[in-house]
Amino acid sequence: MARWRFNLPLLLLAALQPWLALAEHSFENTAIVRTVELGGALVHVTTTYAIKALEDGSSVYTLAIPRDEHQKTSWLEVKIKGQSAILPLDLVGQDIKTGILYYAAELPKPLKLNATTNLVVETVQTHATYPWPAEAGQKDPQSLKYETELLVLSPYVTAVQRTKIRTPSPQVHSFTKPEGLEAFTLEDPVTKSGATLTYGPYKNIPQSTSEDFVEDKQKRVTVHYECDFPVIEISKLTRAAEISHWGANLNIEDNIVLHNGGPKLKGHFSRLEHQSSAYFGRSPPHVIPGMTLHLPAGIQNVYYYDFIGNVSTSRLRTAPSVPKGSPSTQFSVLELKPRYPVLGGWNYSFTLGWDSPLRDSAGYDSKTGKWVVAIPVMTPIPSAVIDQAEVKIVLPEGATDFDFYPPFPASMNEVASHITYLDTIGRPTITLHYNQLTDKHSGIIYVTYRVPFSAHMKKPLAVATAFIGVFVLALTWRRVDTRIQRQK
Amino acid sequence: MTTKAYALPSDLSPATVTNTTSLLRIIALAFISGAAIASRLFAVINFESIIHEFDPWFNYRATRVLVADGFYEFWNWFDPTAWYPLGRVVGGTVYPGLMATSGVIYKILHALNLPVDIRNICVLLAPGFSSLTAWSTYMFTKELKDESAGLLAAAFIGIVPGYISRSVAGSYDNEAIAIFLLMFTFFNWIKALKTGSAFFGTIAALFYFYMVAAWGGYAFITNMIPLHALALLLMGRYSSRLYVAYSSWYAVGTLASMQVPFVGFQPVRTSEHMAALGVFGLLQIIAFAELVRSHVSSKQFQTLLYASVIGLGFLGTLAIIGLTYKGWIAPWTGRFYSLWDTGYAKKYIPIIASVSEHQPTAWPSFFMDLQFLIFLFPAGVVMCFRELRDEHVFVIIYAIVASYFAGVMVRLMLTLTPVVCVAAAIAFSTVLDTYINPVEPEAPADEAASSEVNSVASDVTNPSTPTPVSKKSKKAVKDSSASSTTGPFGDLVASVTSGKSGKKGERSFGVFGLDTRLVVIFHAIGMLIFFVWHCTWVTSNAYSSPSVVLASSNPDGSQHIIDDFREAYYWLRQNTPETAVVMSWWDYGYQIAGMADRPTLVDNNTWNNTHIATVGKAMSSSEEVAYPILRKHDVDYVLVIFGGLIGYSGDDINKFLWMVRIAQGVWPDEIQEPNYFTRKGEYKIDDEASPTMKNSLMYKMSYYRYAELFGGGQALDRVRGQQVPKTGPTLDYLDEAFTSENWIVRIYEVKKEDLLGRDLKSANAFAQGKKRKRTKPASRRKALL
Amino acid sequence: MYLLPLLSFLLLPLSFVVAKEDPHAELVKLAAANKGVIPLDERVYNLLTSPKRTWSSSVQFTALDPKRRCSPCKEFNPSFNQVAKAWQKVPAEQRDTHFFASLDFDNGMAVFQKLGMQSAPIVHVYPAAEGPRKSPSGKTSPFTYDFSYGFEAGPLAESLSQHTPVPIPYKAPIDWGRWATVAAFGVIFAVTLRFIAPILQSRWTWAAGTVLTILIMTAGHMFTRIRGAPNSGPNGQWIAPGYQNQFGQETQVVAMTYGLLGSAILMLTVVTPYTSSPRRQRAQVYLWSFVIFIMYSVLVSLFRVKNRGYPFKLLL
Repeated sequence: MARWRFNLPLLLLAALQPWLALAEHSFENTAIVRTVELGGALVHVTTTYAIKALEDGSSVYTLAIPRDEHQKTSWLEVKIKGQSAILPLDLVGQDIKTGILYYAAELPKPLKLNATTNLVVETVQTHATYPWPAEAGQKDPQSLKYETELLVLSPYVTAVQRTKIRTPSPQVHSFTKPEGLEAFTLEDPVTKSGATLTYGPYKNIPQSTSEDFVEDKQKRVTVHYECDFPVIEISKLTRAAEISHWGANLNIEDNIVLHNGGPKLKGHFSRLEHQSSAYFGRSPPHVIPGMTLHLPAGIQNVYYYDFIGNVSTSRLRTAPSVPKGSPSTQFSVLELKPRYPVLGGWNYSFTLGWDSPLRDSAGYDSKTGKWVVAIPVMTPIPSAVIDQAEVKIVLPEGATDFDFYPPFPASMNEVASHITYLDTIGRPTITLHYNQLTDKHSGIIYVTYRVPFSAHMKKPLAVATAFIGVFVLALTWRRVDTRIQRQK
Repeated sequence: MTTKAYALPSDLSPATVTNTTSLLRIIALAFISGAAIASRLFAVINFESIIHEFDPWFNYRATRVLVADGFYEFWNWFDPTAWYPLGRVVGGTVYPGLMATSGVIYKILHALNLPVDIRNICVLLAPGFSSLTAWSTYMFTKELKDESAGLLAAAFIGIVPGYISRSVAGSYDNEAIAIFLLMFTFFNWIKALKTGSAFFGTIAALFYFYMVAAWGGYAFITNMIPLHALALLLMGRYSSRLYVAYSSWYAVGTLASMQVPFVGFQPVRTSEHMAALGVFGLLQIIAFAELVRSHVSSKQFQTLLYASVIGLGFLGTLAIIGLTYKGWIAPWTGRFYSLWDTGYAKKYIPIIASVSEHQPTAWPSFFMDLQFLIFLFPAGVVMCFRELRDEHVFVIIYAIVASYFAGVMVRLMLTLTPVVCVAAAIAFSTVLDTYINPVEPEAPADEAASSEVNSVASDVTNPSTPTPVSKKSKKAVKDSSASSTTGPFGDLVASVTSGKSGKKGERSFGVFGLDTRLVVIFHAIGMLIFFVWHCTWVTSNAYSSPSVVLASSNPDGSQHIIDDFREAYYWLRQNTPETAVVMSWWDYGYQIAGMADRPTLVDNNTWNNTHIATVGKAMSSSEEVAYPILRKHDVDYVLVIFGGLIGYSGDDINKFLWMVRIAQGVWPDEIQEPNYFTRKGEYKIDDEASPTMKNSLMYKMSYYRYAELFGGGQALDRVRGQQVPKTGPTLDYLDEAFTSENWIVRIYEVKKEDLLGRDLKSANAFAQGKKRKRTKPASRRKALL
Repeated sequence: MYLLPLLSFLLLPLSFVVAKEDPHAELVKLAAANKGVIPLDERVYNLLTSPKRTWSSSVQFTALDPKRRCSPCKEFNPSFNQVAKAWQKVPAEQRDTHFFASLDFDNGMAVFQKLGMQSAPIVHVYPAAEGPRKSPSGKTSPFTYDFSYGFEAGPLAESLSQHTPVPIPYKAPIDWGRWATVAAFGVIFAVTLRFIAPILQSRWTWAAGTVLTILIMTAGHMFTRIRGAPNSGPNGQWIAPGYQNQFGQETQVVAMTYGLLGSAILMLTVVTPYTSSPRRQRAQVYLWSFVIFIMYSVLVSLFRVKNRGYPFKLLL
């Protein structure tokens, strides 16, 4: 589910109050466990609500998400524990005073009185961490800070809740010890074991979405930890997918602006130190020496260049093409290496493209007479966030009544025409815009369209006419005498 | 009846023969163009489609501006990033022909919905034009001898290394199109001279204009054609054809050439162009004289007339000289002098002398570039002397002038190559004509038998012998002269000196027997094959590397690309502010502007000696002296090329002495070349290096922390083959910003003034002191070692 | 040799006497005494280059004594003297602010050692340390003259003029000999014009000239001219090592090879066909083909010597 960014008008809130009033009696949280997987650019948060129905047939469970957390969230889905079906979820409103947003999750079947179930809410936060200190020398380690709310808010009474924060490495420089929680717990409010911090358990918390609760009970906790892999941010990804029936070919070209979101390089880059550290095999965590990408199987002539020509510092292992539909577990692995190691705060922009046989991703539906082509939204880059993505799909020339089905709604999409080699009227083009894509978002866009036979014939006709024209010109030129007076 | 060495098909109608020959000719030309283009693609195949070397990067950048902003924007394009802070009026200081050409091609292709990348157009422009050059050379040679010679010439120039060296794919430089324009202008000139048609004269003028717009070397045409005309006059070969051709060419050509802003009024103001003007005037006078003479017939009057003609010509010359002294006409420019004696350049314009392609040419490079054409060349010239028509006079003059210039400057090999190809083709095709021609002469009675034996009888009559070759032979037989002296030497003198214009006679001409023919023909073919091998080898090995990317080979033999330049330039482009000023030696100016897209202090268009000398001074003086200079020109980054690690010999330390010399030219009392040598007068970088050398910015930036790379071991500079001092130089005013993978490109950031107002040296010392306190144990450990 | 210290000992009182009077006056006197070049010994040297000198000076360090075997010194000395002589022509008030002096190794070893000089000749220019002619940059250390333009007087005067109050009025002596020869040739030409006119008008004289020029040029004559390459290397080798280098003899050999090959081609095309007797003609054809083949392979092998990497070869 893509990220929502709008505040509801006030009047909605008026409608909200009574509804909440009745909402709060329908459920009770027997236990809430929130697990925060800290990382570089991405933070995975899994919250499990063990809920008990207080009334018969109560089927709509309300989630409360604080505003700032909501700002960072780019992926949100709710499941029943142990089931794969995603529950329908919609934004019902926002409390202006507390800034809390409310989502209503539709349970598959209403719960009876005292029946229990477990809801698993999965969210991915982007840009939730920031490097601290903001600058680091070439050899220094990389430390990040993460801030979050201590308590999971809920419009319902909560029996017990705890928050686990897992850091990538056991090096945790500091973490907040919350005060004044006597109301909820008597022993130490936080315990650390290895790479895991546990806040809680906090017992019998009243319904916590009310303003005064947020005011005086809610706390902010900060974790300062060491991250041993680089913070990869893609500031902009422009993907162009061109479908060609003449070449039976699907060309995909990614235009990527890479940014190292880690601590800025303090002082200067010394090749000597870089080479020695690489030699001793302990290159600092905030350097991006390269990335390993999993491209589709069966791709040919992969190209990798930037503004000033080829980049010859990469290796590719292609896997053979797999027939459509069959579950393909094998990939062509590209060890992509920038021209220079990308240190903290540096940028590197490049273009990566390849051809793949059309039959691997396209099918012809004979009864509708339409083509169906599957185009992945992006090439997943492990633990990287894509701030802006633009996917441009170029259909063959003369394609008519086309339609597209993205895996999740785009923030904006437009249809234009694009003219390239030997085109006469140009090709229809679909462009989709996305924000804040994570590794969760690697879905597939399905495009359907119809290409009449005449459209197929356009190219050869155009070329043939051009050549005939040239020949005719040559003929006339040979036969016309341009001299003013005849030589004798 | 004539005997034949071998039989020829007799049942061919002349029409068939002519058609076949013309078809064959077209096919041959097509193949030649194909070969010409293909042999220039080594660079693209071995590396990639990339712009080569230095100047092409500017042309490429300019072309991009042209296609992006349109021609008028380009016309008055002021580039503030070059020659910072002066900037450069590009529109007025370039020869726009090249950019305009590729711009037009680009527009046409895009109009046809062929969105070809402008880079590929630029890369492939030179090969494309080389095929045109082959064609125009064919036309030119055809005028001199015949089609077969033309085809040979086209083939030669198609693959001869002397021309490929400047026109491989990616060397996007003015020469790429200039040679085609040169040959085509000359062809039109010859044509105009032969037919006396103003039409061809005007065409020549138009292509001359194109040439002026395309290459500074147009001065070569500007002086070649008048020289030719003058020679013809002196040979008493004045004709109305000459008058028409020259007048139309000069009038139209000069007016047209003045439209190029970079040229402007030079055609009437500078000495380089005065020859053309003078000959023009002389022609008018003579034409007038001829006119009068045709009407008057009094003997004395004619003598008077001649006297006055000579007098007037003399006066004209005096007038020009006078004007030169008055300063109305600019005297020869330094660059022009340096053609006559390169010592001049070394002394007064070191920038020119410092360029490697301005060095004199040793004979191996002649042979490398022309191979067996080089000795066919004189033979061809002699043959031009045999039939001394006007166009042959042209070739002869061209041959002398070009061979002199090619000897003086390596790069002018380019202008020599076409004439060599033409002359060699004439000689070679004459050989073939003579020995392919099946007609045998009548042997004297006593030896008739022996000749009959190996001569295959055939009753074809001469007119219907198919090949054009045998047609020529008819002429040859007819033209052969008849001074029947006996003895080989007598033969020699008689026959060599018997030109086509010589007296006709009935002396037997031809070759007896088939074996003799076979020997020579096979020999000739062998030579051609060898030539092809040679050209392929030279092209692929010597002329196809884009000096931007270096190739080495891995232990397993596979090609390994050394891409340091682009690595560093791209780093600049991506990780420095748009306005960061980069200082480097001028060789790299264009590349930095093109690839890193950052302002530069100096670049390869070396129009401002002082500015370059300033950079030279900064590089060759100590940090304390250089720092104010850097700050004044608000330089943010300094870029040096250092080949010591992988043995890349074209690096800055090897160019350093030129920086010193150029700086010395402007500040003789601050920079002195001798101070950079050791006491023994050697140029060394090891412990013996002179203190001035060791303190110079260039030295420090090149070897900063280089010794540490070798750990404890002895640091070696692989270019100089010398040991680098163990304790490397220290930098107080600069700071290493980036160093490429193989250390070829090293970029340093210029520190801003110290916040506390201390001078950076002491500030640095202070910081170091602190650090030392902190890392006590480390230092003690050092002490122990 | 051992006389020297004794000599100086004898001179000692005298030097005291001289030291009394104003050094500048003394220097002027010395200069006037011997044609503008002050012969230095250690004392006069220190005098001349005293830290509070108001004058500038050009000092030649040389070793003219035959047993020093310094041929460049002998070569350079006259030029230096000529320049000094030319300097005497300027009016006194400027002349006496710049001195020319020459220090011979045998008269001032100490100075040579002090300056750590290991080679001669060397020319130092000491700018004025004080007074009106003090150099703007305040530099008092000497400039070293750069011999890269050879030992001629012209460039020397030119570069020294940068340090003298007025440019040195040096004019190269007119080379009467050359002018005479030129004039003589002109006269001869004018006189014999009538007789040599037919030769001049014959195209074959011109052809010969042209071909010769071409041969010489394409054989790299200009390279040897401009670079001043020797006719043949040390220990008599006549092929210069390296691809971008050559000796004078190479030019001749290569030019001859080219010429031979070219003339062989000419023979095949324009001479042999005119031979009326088949046998003689056949003989010629084979002869010339053979010559071409041999010379060509010689040329290629020559090229292989110059360009090691060259993969192809013919007969040898």
